[in-house]
Amino acid sequence: MAFLLRTVSRSAEGREIVRTARVEGERLTVGRDPASDVHLTDLAVALRHAEILRTADRLEIAAGTGVSIELDGRKAARGALPLGTGGDIRIGSHILRFLPTAAGAADVEVAVERVTEGEAQLGKADERRFSVASVMPGKRPLAWILVLLVLGVFLAWPIWTVQHRRQDAARGFQPDRMWLSGHLSQVHSSLERDCAACHVTPFVSVRDEACQTCHVRVHDHADRARLARARPGVEGWGRFQLAVQETFGLTPGRCVDCHTEHEGPQEMAPTPQRFCADCHSGLRERLPDTRLGDAGDFATAHPEFQPSVLIRWDAEVPVMQRVSLAGRPSENSNLRFPHALHLARDGGVAQMGRRLRGQFGFGDSLACADCHVPTPDGTRFQPVDMEADCGMCHSLAFDRVGGTVRTLRHGSPEQVVADLREYHRGRVPPRPSVLGPDARRRPGDVMQIRSAIQYAQALAGSGSAADRAIRAVFSPGGACWDCHQVQIPPLGSSAYRIRPVAFPTRYMLHGWFDHAPHRQTDCATCHGAERSRSANDLLLPRLETCRTCHGGESSGEVPSTCAMCHDYHADEGVPAMLLRQRVRGRRWERTTIQVRPEPAGGRR
Amino acid sequence: MASRGAERTRLGSGGSHEGFLRHRRFRWLKVALLLSLAAAVAYAATDVQPRHNGGSWLGYALGTIGALLILWLTMLGVRKRAMTRGRWSLKAWTSAHVYLGLALVVIATLHTGFQFGWNVHTLAYALMMVVVLSGIYGISVYATLPDELSDNRAEMTRPQMIDAVVKIDQQLQAAAQPLDEEEAGIVRLSLAEDPFRGSLVRRLSGNYSNCRNAAALRAMRARPATPETARVVDLLERKAAALGRIRRHLRIRALLEIWLFVHVPVTFATIAALTAHVVSVFFYW
Repeated sequence: MAFLLRTVSRSAEGREIVRTARVEGERLTVGRDPASDVHLTDLAVALRHAEILRTADRLEIAAGTGVSIELDGRKAARGALPLGTGGDIRIGSHILRFLPTAAGAADVEVAVERVTEGEAQLGKADERRFSVASVMPGKRPLAWILVLLVLGVFLAWPIWTVQHRRQDAARGFQPDRMWLSGHLSQVHSSLERDCAACHVTPFVSVRDEACQTCHVRVHDHADRARLARARPGVEGWGRFQLAVQETFGLTPGRCVDCHTEHEGPQEMAPTPQRFCADCHSGLRERLPDTRLGDAGDFATAHPEFQPSVLIRWDAEVPVMQRVSLAGRPSENSNLRFPHALHLARDGGVAQMGRRLRGQFGFGDSLACADCHVPTPDGTRFQPVDMEADCGMCHSLAFDRVGGTVRTLRHGSPEQVVADLREYHRGRVPPRPSVLGPDARRRPGDVMQIRSAIQYAQALAGSGSAADRAIRAVFSPGGACWDCHQVQIPPLGSSAYRIRPVAFPTRYMLHGWFDHAPHRQTDCATCHGAERSRSANDLLLPRLETCRTCHGGESSGEVPSTCAMCHDYHADEGVPAMLLRQRVRGRRWERTTIQVRPEPAGGRR
Repeated sequence: MASRGAERTRLGSGGSHEGFLRHRRFRWLKVALLLSLAAAVAYAATDVQPRHNGGSWLGYALGTIGALLILWLTMLGVRKRAMTRGRWSLKAWTSAHVYLGLALVVIATLHTGFQFGWNVHTLAYALMMVVVLSGIYGISVYATLPDELSDNRAEMTRPQMIDAVVKIDQQLQAAAQPLDEEEAGIVRLSLAEDPFRGSLVRRLSGNYSNCRNAAALRAMRARPATPETARVVDLLERKAAALGRIRRHLRIRALLEIWLFVHVPVTFATIAALTAHVVSVFFYW
């Protein structure tokens, strides 16, 4: 009995090389040991890996200690194959194939073949693996992935959500926020989640209508046709820029031209002066009928102030008119008031002030603030109120009853006349009882006749005393005459009239002036009250006075752009720029407050 | 291509070849400098209120120039597949690609007006900067690493390097035959080591701490010394040296080639982001 070994190997070309050997006996040893019957050079094979024993009808296989074999695909330490059918044993990278053998046959045929390479083998193909490309995904797939990712996340997603957004769904993350080129200004920050509030139609530039959905009260600077004519002509580069802008649907003159957005979460940037100066520095040329003077910069090109002044009266109605301070206009409030006299450091007024110091807190002489009271916001001054502002010195007292002083009713000449008459009647002695209604007149009653004569004289005297007093009050040196223009009635009548009085509360209707920031300056710096002898003097400072501190956009002690005093949207209130700078101001809608008779003691 | 250009710059003007960097006495460097200077002067001279941004006329102009430049720079990928001579030779084109690509940094940065944020606009800018920086890296490694690569090779070709390992493996196989199972297992560990195994990170770092050959070497040294094991240890050491050479080569090659895997895909990502940037600007015009 013997084993017939057929060792199969392959040449480089793939040709099969078969070597045969014959092992006598019933026992076949397999291992890496060169002494083995089947010598396998695979390092996975133990030196003495297995032993195969042929019995009558089968082959019994036993693996060495610590190693195993693979029998028909299963790992095992020992096993058996029927001789008649044969079978495969796998050891390491080799297969031992026992061919079917008849029970009585002498030889068992065994094919030995290496089926796999035992260890990783390197080849010529591995040269390509030197390149880093062998461990990287391809550049093309990488590029496609990145392109689709970027387009999907940053383009398709936002567009899709914009097209499918419900009206009320401005909550949560909006993908078009990834398009936000810069934060909105503080006032518009609530719109950041709602791009479509301003960008109404895709691919159409922001229109004024979008702004006007909220800003309903903003009106145009001027008539649109006139605005267009006032615009300076553009040539060359400017014309080219304009053409490009219009090609891309950016029509000039939109709100957003001046009010630029997406500049960060600060206050909206003030509009630069050139937006004003472009048109206004040569306006007269282009709009010959304009009443505005050319203005380019406060320091160098600005017309003289033209305040609205009370120039005359149309019967009882004050007539206001804008006049240039260059013409030294006078004001006609119908008051008499010499500022110089009141502010003099010595003289009667100062002495009286010193006398009343304890009561009213006057200084060595009167100061502006003793009579002029600012409005609550400090921007302007309230109209002078006779009782509160003049009454400290200019007393209207005419009688004292017990501890109470009776005063003439200010603002009501009829009442003054009546009060004075009543006062003088009160000075007549009571009707003597001898002249009583039931007294009978008896001739020769000397006492009665004397009483009657005395009473009649007293009555007649009181009438003329009242007339004298009334005349005195309304005449030079009298309480009314001192300050007011009195209309003298015809002889025999006492219907004295006082001309109405009015003060402008605001002179600069198209420019803003706020006293509050100028508080540290002495009033006399701007208002020449100390030299004014007439109430008709208009004590407004001229342009030159302002220019001592205020320069142009980038000059002077206080650089001042147009927007510091003027609003593009021609509002009478605080200029938007100052509002944005948190200057608190109340808008004063009325421009004059007429002083009317009203209950005494009331002060607005 | 690029490596050739960079290497030859060192031959100097006396050589018959000049690299793409000094092509035509730095013609494209001068063009790029002029372009950047013009953009910077325009930026400084233009008064944009309240501050510079991409939406002023200058911003749009710089943006248009930048976008066209990006598209033209990308065309190198198409152009390099067709070699020509002369004024518009591939070398001239590459030279222009490098210098105009650098000028793009100036133009695009001025286009932003130095306003950045978490948005698609800054994304496009950032991706573009990644592309430019990877390109700068690429040029710098091509100027230095090829020398290292040839030093490491020691006149060996790449197949020879592989062959060295294969031969040592065969000798190990033979030398391990008399060893017992445990020692044979150690040798098989070494034989199982694939020199090209490992991720990109391993290639770039050159750190092969889990090398099976090194493990086998350690284990084999710990075995009792016999003539057989001594021979195996010797072979394992020689294999470690051969593997080390291959791995150094891999590392340099990885450092040399990796930038293109950033440069090219991110270029297309930049164009995608640029598209999103432009469309979004006009969408919310």
